[in-house]
Amino acid sequence: MINLSNIYYRYEETSEAWVLHGIDLSIREGEFVLLCGGSGSGKSTLGYLLNGLIPHFFDGVLQGAVSVSGHDTRDSTMADLFAEVGLVFQNTDAQLFNSSVEKEIAFGLESMGRSAREIEIEIDRTAKILDIGHLLDRPPTALSGGEKRLVTIASVLCLKPPVMVLDEPLAHLDWEGAARVRKVLRRLHQEGTTVVVIEQRVGAVLEDATRCVVLDRGKLVFDGVPGASRPTLIEQHLVPQYPLKQESALREQNPLLQAKEISYEIDGRPILQNVSVHVKDGEILAIVGRNGSGKTTLIKHFNGLLNPCAGNLLFMGKGVRNTTPQEMAVQIGITFQNPNDQFFKNTVEEELMIGRSLSGRDSEEWFEELCVLFDLHDLLRQSPYRLSEGQKKRVAVASILVMRPRLLVLDEPTVGQDGRFLEVLAGLLLSLREKGFTVVIVTHDLEFALATAERWLVLYGGRVVGMGPPEELAMDTALIRMGALGADDRMLSRGVLDRAC
Amino acid sequence: MPVRSFDPRTKLALGAMGIAAILTTQKTVPLGVELGLLCGGLLALNMVKPWIRAFKLILPLVVLVFIIAAISFTVDTAFMLSLRLLNLLTLSFVFFQTIGPEELGDSFRKMGLPYEFSFILTTSLRYVPLIGGMIRRIIDAQRSRGIDMRPRLRNVPNFIALLMPLLIQAFVLAEQLAMAMESRGFARTGRTFRKEYNISFGEYLIMSVALGLLVAFILWE
Repeated sequence: MINLSNIYYRYEETSEAWVLHGIDLSIREGEFVLLCGGSGSGKSTLGYLLNGLIPHFFDGVLQGAVSVSGHDTRDSTMADLFAEVGLVFQNTDAQLFNSSVEKEIAFGLESMGRSAREIEIEIDRTAKILDIGHLLDRPPTALSGGEKRLVTIASVLCLKPPVMVLDEPLAHLDWEGAARVRKVLRRLHQEGTTVVVIEQRVGAVLEDATRCVVLDRGKLVFDGVPGASRPTLIEQHLVPQYPLKQESALREQNPLLQAKEISYEIDGRPILQNVSVHVKDGEILAIVGRNGSGKTTLIKHFNGLLNPCAGNLLFMGKGVRNTTPQEMAVQIGITFQNPNDQFFKNTVEEELMIGRSLSGRDSEEWFEELCVLFDLHDLLRQSPYRLSEGQKKRVAVASILVMRPRLLVLDEPTVGQDGRFLEVLAGLLLSLREKGFTVVIVTHDLEFALATAERWLVLYGGRVVGMGPPEELAMDTALIRMGALGADDRMLSRGVLDRAC
Repeated sequence: MPVRSFDPRTKLALGAMGIAAILTTQKTVPLGVELGLLCGGLLALNMVKPWIRAFKLILPLVVLVFIIAAISFTVDTAFMLSLRLLNLLTLSFVFFQTIGPEELGDSFRKMGLPYEFSFILTTSLRYVPLIGGMIRRIIDAQRSRGIDMRPRLRNVPNFIALLMPLLIQAFVLAEQLAMAMESRGFARTGRTFRKEYNISFGEYLIMSVALGLLVAFILWE
């Protein structure tokens, strides 16, 4: 069905390094292939080769041959290939460019010149398969992350392509969204579509796949059945092996931050309802819950980005209502999900200098210590935009920590990151706790939260539904049944891996 | 006859004639008559409540224009200018409430402009809320690292911290959008346009009345 023969590719003619390096790969009809690799391994580039984006959209240097259904992609155009190989992109906002879900699904069919009647039939059929009939009139901006992902799949599935390639379809999704997408992928595979999933969340897809292909720095390092992939996946850090969580030393844990009965609403719609939380000095607390449960809204109250409609917040015993976020930054550092939102300087060093100059307590020793801790010395002269996703995240966290805040808050730090970075980040957080920092992690990645936090706060529908030791809450069947917590895919899949080996 | 179901070319022509009438009118009484007609339209289209909400947002602008013009010229001129602005904003409100981005694009396509042009128009409107969300996220991220982003004169240099990430992310989004479009056959010829548009006799009649009103206002001047 798809044949890649001795593929070498680089994006720039002047570049020396190949992004793909001697790839030989044949994908047969009806296979479910998990194509995985760490950040920068070349897996997305491989996906672009399959539907002709390389060489028709990207310039660069391509050696070797790619054939789809017996046709060399060089001799076909993208207009020929798009109905043969459907590519679902990672960024749903880029793929959903129409004003309604119905028009989104229709777009590809309209490109093919199908009749209006045929298009309507296909829209109905696709909406039924994905159970999105109720969303057809809605604009993509009004959808949840999981719904957006289903619509991106629908926009390609309606063309009935024999091959579907999905680039990180589970990125940004919580366990429930991921479960819906996985169910759809399993169905597609059962119905005979060849499915290629490019993923960093290896465990989640591994049990559905019939074949696992692992890339490392552009080279194919494993190609076989999922059950035999464990040693390679661990060696490549695609299944994170977290450091052991040390029991915290006995110490006086005064509340550093207290939220008392805070409520927040937007246009009369409650986002937080009577949320009370205390963050103890020197602990790592994880605020966990599904997407849309109010986690990010809650932490925006910590530094005054939002003010509660009711209730109050105390930091070190003092109210923060009249304090601005920029004043609070030296006490409470918050780093949000997308590190690209922060960068505007030419070099990493200049990015870090902003915090140093604003904090008013510039210390060369702490800067040095931070550079060692976050392994930044080699990056200081580089542009922050040219770094890998893991490096960007490290710089973003360091740019907050350089101000030496009492409390560090990380919003969804695991999103878009590979296993290698997750291991590094878990180690960093545990080191920061040893140095006396208090850390709050906001995440729907329960495995990461379990590996790092001493305490969980579970939010569901804007309310606190659980607080306590992670090991107990993760097993709480009432919370899992309610949907406030999920049996995390990766935890499940690790079990599957263990059973398989 | 429901205005929302009009052919988009009719809506565009009515909107253009309305703007021409307002811009050619420079006396207070005809401007008042135009406002009366617009208010009648708001009532007929059941848009009074949403217009009042929008009016609260545009009122400061109208008042500002009145104050500046009153200081620079005369109170009469200030009244005329602010009334004209109010009419223009009210007409724009009615126009955009009755025509969707796709319809607007389709109207240009039916008038002979290439599909690519109407697609760019509708897509750029689709991305306005997304870019708005991006701006809010960047401002939150920068304020959280101690950069003062409040709209103050002394903070003007700090706005580079908004512009740079915004521009770079917008460029990345544009490239990803182009990839996504190509991957769904944007460049392929022979596209189906599902919606059929026809200008009815009634619409021609309404356009004739509107043209008559435009001429009447010009003559009144």
